[in-house]
Amino acid sequence: MTRECSLLLPRVCAALADPRLPSSDDTCLEKLLDWFRELAESDPTVKLMQDNPCLTEFITSILALPEPSPSILSFTLRLAGILAASENRFQHLQQEQLLVRLFGRDGPLNSSLWEDASVRSGWVEGVHSMMHHQPALHFLCHGGGINTIFTLQGDPSLFVASAASQLLVHMLTLSVESETTKPLTTKDCDWPACARMIIKHIEDSLQSSSASDIEQSLKLLTGLFGSCRAAWTEVLWLGIVKQIKSFLMEETVRAPHALANLLLNMTWSPVFCNDEGSFWALVTSALEHFTPIEASPLAVGILRLYKCPQDVRIQALTVLLQPMDCILRAASQPLEYAGLLDESVSDPITVESLLSSKSSCAGLLCQTLAHLEELLSLVLLPVELPYPSLLRSLMTILQFCNGSVNPTSPLGSTISRILVNCFRVQRSALDVLAALSERKGCDTLIEDLFDVLLAYLESPNTSPTVLKKTFHATSKWLARLQELSCSNNQWQQTEKILKDVFLVLQKRLCSPCWEVRDSSLEFLTVLIQCLRDQDEFRQSLLSSEVPRLTESLLEDPESYVRASAVTAVGHLAFITYFAPESPVAGNLCNKEVSFTANTVAKLQEILSTDPEGFPRRAVISIFTKWLRQGCTGQLEDAEQFVSRVIQTVVHDLDWEVRLGGLELVEVFYTQTICQLGLPKCPYAPVSSAVTTSVPQDESLQIFCRAKLFSFLFQSLCDCDKPVAQRACDILLALRVTFHPISTLKDSQGAGDSPAGCGIAWLQRTLSQGSLAQNFPIDGANGVDFQDPESMMLALGTIDLEELHDELNKSSDHVEKSPQSLLQDILATVGTIKENEADCY
Amino acid sequence: MSYLSVLGLGAGAGQDVGRSCILVSIAGKNVMLDCGMHMGYNDDRRFPDFSYITQNGRLTDFLDCVIISHFHLDHCGALPYFSEMVGYDGPIYMTHPTKAICPILLEDYRKITVDKKGETNFFTSQMIKDCMKKVVAVHLHQTVQVDEELEIKAYYAGHVLGAAMFQIKVGCESVVYTGDYNMTPDRHLGAAWVDKCRPDLLITESTYATTIRDSKRCRERDFLKKVHETVERGGKVLIPVFALGRAQELCILLETFWERMNLKAPIYFSTGLTEKANHYYKLFITWTNQKIRKTFVQRNMFEFKHIKAFDRAFADNPGPMVVFATPGMLHAGQSLQIFRKWAGNEKNMVIMPGYCVQGTVGHKILSGQRKLEMEGRQILEVKMQVEYMSFSAHADAKGIMQLIRQAEPRNVLLVHGEAKKMEFLKQKIEQEFHVNCYMPANGETTTIFTNPSIPVDISLGLLKRETAIGLVPDVKKPKLMHGTLLMKDNSFRLVSPEQALKELGLTEHQLRFTCRVHIQDPRKEHETVLRVYNHLKGVLKDYSVQHLPDGSITVESILIQATAHSEDQGTKVLLVSWTYQDEELGSYLTALLKKGLPQSST
Repeated sequence: MTRECSLLLPRVCAALADPRLPSSDDTCLEKLLDWFRELAESDPTVKLMQDNPCLTEFITSILALPEPSPSILSFTLRLAGILAASENRFQHLQQEQLLVRLFGRDGPLNSSLWEDASVRSGWVEGVHSMMHHQPALHFLCHGGGINTIFTLQGDPSLFVASAASQLLVHMLTLSVESETTKPLTTKDCDWPACARMIIKHIEDSLQSSSASDIEQSLKLLTGLFGSCRAAWTEVLWLGIVKQIKSFLMEETVRAPHALANLLLNMTWSPVFCNDEGSFWALVTSALEHFTPIEASPLAVGILRLYKCPQDVRIQALTVLLQPMDCILRAASQPLEYAGLLDESVSDPITVESLLSSKSSCAGLLCQTLAHLEELLSLVLLPVELPYPSLLRSLMTILQFCNGSVNPTSPLGSTISRILVNCFRVQRSALDVLAALSERKGCDTLIEDLFDVLLAYLESPNTSPTVLKKTFHATSKWLARLQELSCSNNQWQQTEKILKDVFLVLQKRLCSPCWEVRDSSLEFLTVLIQCLRDQDEFRQSLLSSEVPRLTESLLEDPESYVRASAVTAVGHLAFITYFAPESPVAGNLCNKEVSFTANTVAKLQEILSTDPEGFPRRAVISIFTKWLRQGCTGQLEDAEQFVSRVIQTVVHDLDWEVRLGGLELVEVFYTQTICQLGLPKCPYAPVSSAVTTSVPQDESLQIFCRAKLFSFLFQSLCDCDKPVAQRACDILLALRVTFHPISTLKDSQGAGDSPAGCGIAWLQRTLSQGSLAQNFPIDGANGVDFQDPESMMLALGTIDLEELHDELNKSSDHVEKSPQSLLQDILATVGTIKENEADCY
Repeated sequence: MSYLSVLGLGAGAGQDVGRSCILVSIAGKNVMLDCGMHMGYNDDRRFPDFSYITQNGRLTDFLDCVIISHFHLDHCGALPYFSEMVGYDGPIYMTHPTKAICPILLEDYRKITVDKKGETNFFTSQMIKDCMKKVVAVHLHQTVQVDEELEIKAYYAGHVLGAAMFQIKVGCESVVYTGDYNMTPDRHLGAAWVDKCRPDLLITESTYATTIRDSKRCRERDFLKKVHETVERGGKVLIPVFALGRAQELCILLETFWERMNLKAPIYFSTGLTEKANHYYKLFITWTNQKIRKTFVQRNMFEFKHIKAFDRAFADNPGPMVVFATPGMLHAGQSLQIFRKWAGNEKNMVIMPGYCVQGTVGHKILSGQRKLEMEGRQILEVKMQVEYMSFSAHADAKGIMQLIRQAEPRNVLLVHGEAKKMEFLKQKIEQEFHVNCYMPANGETTTIFTNPSIPVDISLGLLKRETAIGLVPDVKKPKLMHGTLLMKDNSFRLVSPEQALKELGLTEHQLRFTCRVHIQDPRKEHETVLRVYNHLKGVLKDYSVQHLPDGSITVESILIQATAHSEDQGTKVLLVSWTYQDEELGSYLTALLKKGLPQSST
């Protein structure tokens, strides 16, 4: 603790304890506790309290108040808990008789303040904080506090109930791990006192007739098995397994979700997953007895496991795939049925009845689909899924949803009637479809799949959110199709599909709904990014109306759309303007080439005139991309290009555009020094032949000519910190390149030359940081930003490291310091608090 | 009886006002109302802990929709986090202006966050856009069908442009959520209004639960006076604002004043967002108040003659000026930069038009601190005048009562207020309106029981039958109908029992109750029957009592037969049997017979 803080703290404590003063706002108290926690953790001795007796005095004075405010009492409880986390300080507080008055029977427990949820929450948090040593455990268990925690598990406040449950898990673990002298075994089990109380509570609750008691205990066990993987957990488990089994045997399983969560957490624990039989038998039994909706989360959890008995895995797979199987079956003629599941393991009656009910059909499907997506998103899937059948099932669901199939079976027609226009299911199915594109084996179905996707892309009934997901799935499958075509050289199919896709894209680009136009442009950009090297793709795209329509969207009234159009047009340029050697671009008629040249001018115009930030940000980011990929050489001289862009960007009101400008400069800098053969890393050993100053001079001149230095130095004073930081990083890199360390010292405190005076001014200006105004661009104050010599001097003289350190601090580092917080609390309690309520 | 439940997910376990996020469960549908961010924290505590919404299954499956009441960050700031990072993928509803303006404020705040280094777990620009693309915009008074059962409807809330109260309705159960609202019109917005929708529950904000606010005119006059005085003495006025909202209100105020007083000092708006902001006010002119709408024909109030875009070089210009600069709490950026330049001159003034969270320069100066430590241990002495002026547009106690009177809810639940003040208001509401009023802490579930009236379709056959016996249906005279209720696929139909049997393919079974009554009578059986017949005939004058040829008696559908006791000929056993429909009469009759036959008839 700094001296300033230790001087302020007694006054703050006094102010907080004064009931006549308005209580401090909750965030201040929270932050104060954060600070105490840090202090307490850094030094576990009693020194913190000895050095700051005001802390003990504060607690005492709050306890002496007849009716403290709930928020201050809650704060006090939590503070005391944090302090009592170390054994020394715990003893100190015990000696002062404070803990018993806070957390014992004499505390708020028996006062009317206990009705306030924040007091109960403070009590639980306080106890949790102190629970790091045996004396704390004994204090609570022997003082009866543990019963309070048991009760709080069922608190009306979810926050308190959840905290109480976590506290019990923590106490049980602490008790067993700190109080047992020898490992506990099933044969020789002597639980320590506190653990015994908690375990008894768990066992009693599990046998209780109250559903909420059972659920609380199951939650507690879930938390325990999730966080503790020690061998003793098995001993505990063996004591309750019979009861758990009996829950599963009931006609309607009680608390199925809590049971599923419990079993799921146990499957991750080496204590149970290595079990030879009984645990897994229980899991199997759960999968059998749960309803499909209850069993599915457990099933998907099991399928994520690498270590799991094969029969359990099959059982889980059956549970998960059952609805998909039913869908396939419902849509097929009996003879053509080739389902997902072996008929011998499938028991579809329950699932069928759920799917044919309006209230459960969409819910079951969405849950199944979400679980499938979860599995498919794993890089390494421990289980092989029947991908082709899964794809067929997905396609069927999507067809049900847009009413494009008329199943003959009664189940099929019921499901299709329920699902038609169901956006929820559409969205989920499309997510899975996109994830499935990464998996092999579905190639024979690809043509049918595109029929389904195109139907969605074309349909006016497709909602904007569904359309976005359709675009995503389409782009993923087009990439897959591309790979396929490459391997089997069958391009006709691809070409036809691409043609259809661009036709529908044309339509969508003209949608009255901005969300649709924007998603269409994003889709186009993604397509270009992954397929731009393929002639067929370029051919189809350029022969469509898509490029023209995309360009017209540069003038869209919606700024998000303009920004996406800029990005799309920027990517289009890669296959038109910047690829003259490709046969496709070579075949372009003059009209198209000039269209692209105009487009570039248009982007520059957007950068200088668009009233909103997003399109301007998009332009600068595209320009940087072009430069990075070496495309601008075809536009004009890169130096001129960068210089011109920077002149525009420097005045931009949007900080991210200015930041983008700096990124452009950085790319330009890297490319220039690479082209001139300068080492990128100044510390790399280079032969003396390379270290000649010729390329250095040349590149320095380039930077000066392009007016990059004035932009960089001006950015150093930017009122938006990220901009200044980036500029500083670039200047540091430039200095390393141009100003080898050996020469750095010589130029420190440069002489009395006119340039030297200017640099001294610059140094002073920069030290003012963002307060600097009227930053001279050219000539003023004797700094010539285009003069290589001055700039060399500036780089050598100005303490960029110090600036860098200063800028790297958070912009609110002063305001969020503990000292500032203490000052704020003191200042606030002195002012009238009417401002508080006036939130926003 | 049915129930609906409400769970608040604000910050802390108490009644913190930091952010709004409420979960309502009504008739099996789950709706999240607002998804606010707490501006006072820079870590995970700024967002609600969504894990409390459901511990079983995905949020997208659990929640039927999310509704955002208005664009303030304490109501919408966590939305991109919720939809793009936590993974909620379902529908989101807000009004058109809110949808347009929300991303501007979210971007504004994202910038401040990026400025504060080391902050992770925050959304990006792309996430804000992706989130906004999921939003379905609604019109005022438009009934939006979220799904077949759940519908929502927006009402005008005043407060800020596009702010709305929402009615959430499932069948005949409904909840109205006010969000923040204002019951008195201000310079650019009208007063909140809701129709007499008699919801089961009204969830109302209670920021000014005990305050009767002075007229906003006074505050406006005070504001203009202070600005004018400062400018007159050659000082500069800094007004830190968020890009949208209060800034526009103050701009109109100053513009009109400048025009009237023919003032020449320049007024600047710093961010370049004026155009965009004003564009929205123009676009959504129907959401502003009547006066603005009327004058719009002659002159657009949002096209300012006196207010110009600010360039950072202007801050050093000599002479008076007024500058609106972002961000509003002097966190960082331009407003802080200008403040640091001007703070040392006592002629200047900074006017804070809104609340500032701890950890900002704005908070410091409002709490009276005048020596501020700046970066690099520099001390900034604040000599300029510091003024706080509340222009916040919340309903005061009077307004809240007025809204309750308008909506006539069956229950009221107070949120977004301080515990003590809410307690006072709660009592007042309960006294005046005789309804239950709740004020739950964050994290506490309030369950309210409702008596939903469930609409039932009645079959034509049944209706005709009722009409035939002379009871013409009349909407003003509710009457009891008897029939069989068929419940199928969430639809309810009342049909005649015959039709029900036919539709369901069932055969009718008659349920009869029988009872044996022993009577001491040595006469022959047929004589005993006759005695019983005469007795009943005498007692039950209004009923049809018949003596049938087979020796049994009927009273309506009740059948009575007599046999001699097998062991005791002096005792006769009367077998009384009746249908379920005549249960009452059957019970009465057995009770009557058990008393025995009257002596006189002997």
